[in-house]
Amino acid sequence: MMSSLRRSLQKVRGLFAGQKSDTEFAVELESHLQQEIDDGVRRGLSEHEARRRSLIRMGGLEQTKIAYREQRGIPWMESLLRDIRYGFRQIRKSPGFSAAAVMTLALGIGATTAIFSLVHAVLLRPLAFPEQDRLMWLSQQNHALPGVVPEALSYPDYFDWRAQNHSFSGIASYAGGGVTLNLNSGAQRLEAQMVSSNFFQVLGVSPVLGRDFREEEENAGNHAAMLSYTLWRSTFGAAQDIAGKTVRMDDKTYVIAGVMPPGFQFPLQGPAPELWISLASDADGATPTTSQRGLNMLGVIGRLKPGVTQEQAKADLSVIAGNLARQYPADNKQYTSALVEPELRHMTGDNRAALQILFGAVTLVLLIACTNVAGLLLARGSRRSAEFALRSAIGASRAAILRQLLVESVTLSLCGGVAGVALAFVLLRGMVRLLPLNMPRMEAAQVDGTVLLFVLLVSVITGLLFGVLPAWRVSQLSPEQALRHGARSVAGARGQHRIHNGLVIAQTAIGLVLLVSSGLLVRSFVRILNVDPGFDPKQVLTVRTRVSFDTLSHDQHIQFYDRLVKRVAALPGVRSASAGWPLPMSDSNASVTFAIGGRPIARADEPNEAIGVVLPGYFETMRIPLIAGRTFGERDTATAPPVVVINQAFAHKYFPGTNPLGQHIRSEMGDDVVEHPMREVVGIVGDTRRRGLTTAADPQYFVPYAQALITNPYLVVRTAGDPELMQASIQQAVHELDKDVPVYQVATMEQYVAKSAAQARFQTLLLTSFAGIALILTAIGLYGLLSYMVGQRTLEIGLRMAMGARRSDVLGMVVGRGLLLTLSGVGMGLVLAAMVTRLLSGMLYGVRSFDPVTFAVTTALLLLVCVAASCVPASRAAWLDPMKTLREQ
Amino acid sequence: MGDKAGVWQGTLALMVLRTLETMGAQHGYGLARRIEQTSGDAFALNYGTLYPALLKLEQEGAIASEWGVSESNRKAKYYSLTRAGKKRLANERREWEQTTAILERFLAPAEEA
Repeated sequence: MMSSLRRSLQKVRGLFAGQKSDTEFAVELESHLQQEIDDGVRRGLSEHEARRRSLIRMGGLEQTKIAYREQRGIPWMESLLRDIRYGFRQIRKSPGFSAAAVMTLALGIGATTAIFSLVHAVLLRPLAFPEQDRLMWLSQQNHALPGVVPEALSYPDYFDWRAQNHSFSGIASYAGGGVTLNLNSGAQRLEAQMVSSNFFQVLGVSPVLGRDFREEEENAGNHAAMLSYTLWRSTFGAAQDIAGKTVRMDDKTYVIAGVMPPGFQFPLQGPAPELWISLASDADGATPTTSQRGLNMLGVIGRLKPGVTQEQAKADLSVIAGNLARQYPADNKQYTSALVEPELRHMTGDNRAALQILFGAVTLVLLIACTNVAGLLLARGSRRSAEFALRSAIGASRAAILRQLLVESVTLSLCGGVAGVALAFVLLRGMVRLLPLNMPRMEAAQVDGTVLLFVLLVSVITGLLFGVLPAWRVSQLSPEQALRHGARSVAGARGQHRIHNGLVIAQTAIGLVLLVSSGLLVRSFVRILNVDPGFDPKQVLTVRTRVSFDTLSHDQHIQFYDRLVKRVAALPGVRSASAGWPLPMSDSNASVTFAIGGRPIARADEPNEAIGVVLPGYFETMRIPLIAGRTFGERDTATAPPVVVINQAFAHKYFPGTNPLGQHIRSEMGDDVVEHPMREVVGIVGDTRRRGLTTAADPQYFVPYAQALITNPYLVVRTAGDPELMQASIQQAVHELDKDVPVYQVATMEQYVAKSAAQARFQTLLLTSFAGIALILTAIGLYGLLSYMVGQRTLEIGLRMAMGARRSDVLGMVVGRGLLLTLSGVGMGLVLAAMVTRLLSGMLYGVRSFDPVTFAVTTALLLLVCVAASCVPASRAAWLDPMKTLREQ
Repeated sequence: MGDKAGVWQGTLALMVLRTLETMGAQHGYGLARRIEQTSGDAFALNYGTLYPALLKLEQEGAIASEWGVSESNRKAKYYSLTRAGKKRLANERREWEQTTAILERFLAPAEEA
């Protein structure tokens, strides 16, 4: 055992032995021979005879040396290394070909690597929590809606689930929001998540400083906060004694429990929380949020107990949900079962389809690059046929030749891979910067160890893929044929031409698929950009402010915003100003149940629709058209008759065929001052695409801000000039009223709209780049084939022209061949495209996956490009001087 | 009982080790002649297989090599037994003797029980 290990190690050492060892052994052999000859001579033989006999006894000098060398090293590895070295030499020998091949491969491999890095960082990489596959995202299923619709939990639901379940070692809740940190230097608004006391335990992360939350910190009055590492460093000066200190936030005193480790973030979707606070805030007040079943606002995450499966957990939780639905039909009637999904899957769900399609598309680009290089190799292979014929005549087996050629292609491919990695670096940098998309974990997309492994694998597979066909061709040629006919072997050429033609046809087909896909996406994107959002987003600046509900009374709060809006409207450069909540396309929304006057209905069956609270002038500032009746004005104060304005979708759904004006709606929405009265419908406004450009408008009803003080609104300001220039003066106006009110989330309405189209833009841009690359590569491939063909048939063309063929005939012949190949490719491509584009239907807006215009235009483009590519070799052929050509033969 | 080449290589290795034990350090040619003599010229050793076998033994650490001068004043590589080689020789010798003893009982003419 030990001896064989020692032998293996010595063999590895023997790989590097080289010249010196060979010389030494030659000396040893020679010495052996001489001694034997001496003996022979001593016995009476002649020197010559003695030498002859010794050589026979030795069994062949060369064979002995070969056997010795095989024992010394690792023969198969040595031949592999030899092949690799030969491969490099071949690459250096034809720099033009090698450069073209390496660049093509670099393009294909680089693009594929960049997309893979993205896919790896966003989709594949496990979450950075211990045993992250046991973390599940929990929700309740809304059986009142078709399909599987998850719904958030309310606090009472969550507490019940937490107490009654048997499947989880812990269930935690989280809800996003913001807090205002009151420092001496002013007010700062921080992104925060309100979490249950076991939140960090469930995730499996401990603070690096201080302690975790305690159970009692879920109760009113026990406000605790856990800082993020970055916040601790930036705002708290990385103070080592921070644990236990108190801060004032939202006019409450919070004790800082501790600091989370650097890089910790949860949830990963949306803006990164700067701190986490305990539930105590939601437990405050006369009717605390924690007691309101029906207020579904919590994200819930749980860690499965060891040995419990996802299905068991789902069944367990569904029993609890079912019981709650029976106990509290008014709030929970439709939530009769639970949904359990691994957190990683849940988090990546939105982006999975798009990324998969992008990866598929870039693989097609790589495939085209492979066929291109295979074509190059085929053309070059015939020039080397003599070299290989000689080799096989000497004794190289077909397998050895095949192996050597494959090693050459893989070496070429690895060179392309190295260049591709450099390209991927650049592409990634550009992608993440130019196309800002809020894909969770997208910033981490980089060329790391896993990605490098991927590059290696892809390079080797690519090399084998494009190398196998040409290698097989070359090894097939019989030596006599190749040596006799040289590179112009007719029989060989025909078969090779067929393969080369096949490659170009395949390229064209794949190229068409990419072109059609990108065409569809472009059309869809243009449609999206042309969608009327229902309001005029140009030159509107939006700003968020936060006025405390505790320090100001109800009336003072309303007064503040009234005064603020008047001040801002009076600023020079401002056309109009108002405020409202939620802002369209801002990802904030709320829906509240209501009942329509004169239509009695059980509490549990009451519908709910999206709400809005707006100040007077909101619709005018946003340029949302008034369809009938009136909008809110100065007269709609807190004490005035309760009114409501609905949008057209609401009118069509709930008042079809009748006039909604004058009818009444009672909504569950209200502050503690104005309770749920019957509101008169006084106006109908146009629909807005509040959830996004691609989501159709849904019913919405609006209540005057003064009559439902539920939140701080967005300030909307329509400016005469560039809206961003107004930021400073608006901030000043706010601080003149109250210097402790933070101003944050400043953005133009156009930025919100652009964000809504960001995903579509990202996909379209990438896919169009791929299609562009594919088009260029396809054109190059066709050009290469035709050039090669012209080169092979120079003699024939010269003869024809000498016999009277005109230039146009020759032109026609070459372009005709190019057209034939292209049309075959297009034919195949159209069939493939019809099948493949069905996969895109999820990404398309307003365009069918089988859109004839797109298909026609992209086909025409491809034909045009290919004809152009054929013209160059065609004209070269047509302008040959026939006398010169014939003479050269 | 293993393929022929394997058995052959194994017995050649044993012969080399034993020869080095009795003769002391020796060069390739001397080993070859001595092995032929000892086996009573029963087989003709292909010297081409001897050298790879010597290299294998050296890789396995059973023998060591050193350049020297032969009797006829020629440069030659001398091989000698290492301590590991001595141990290996003793082990393999014992194994051979055991195997031979067992086989002899089987192949001996049938006796009355």
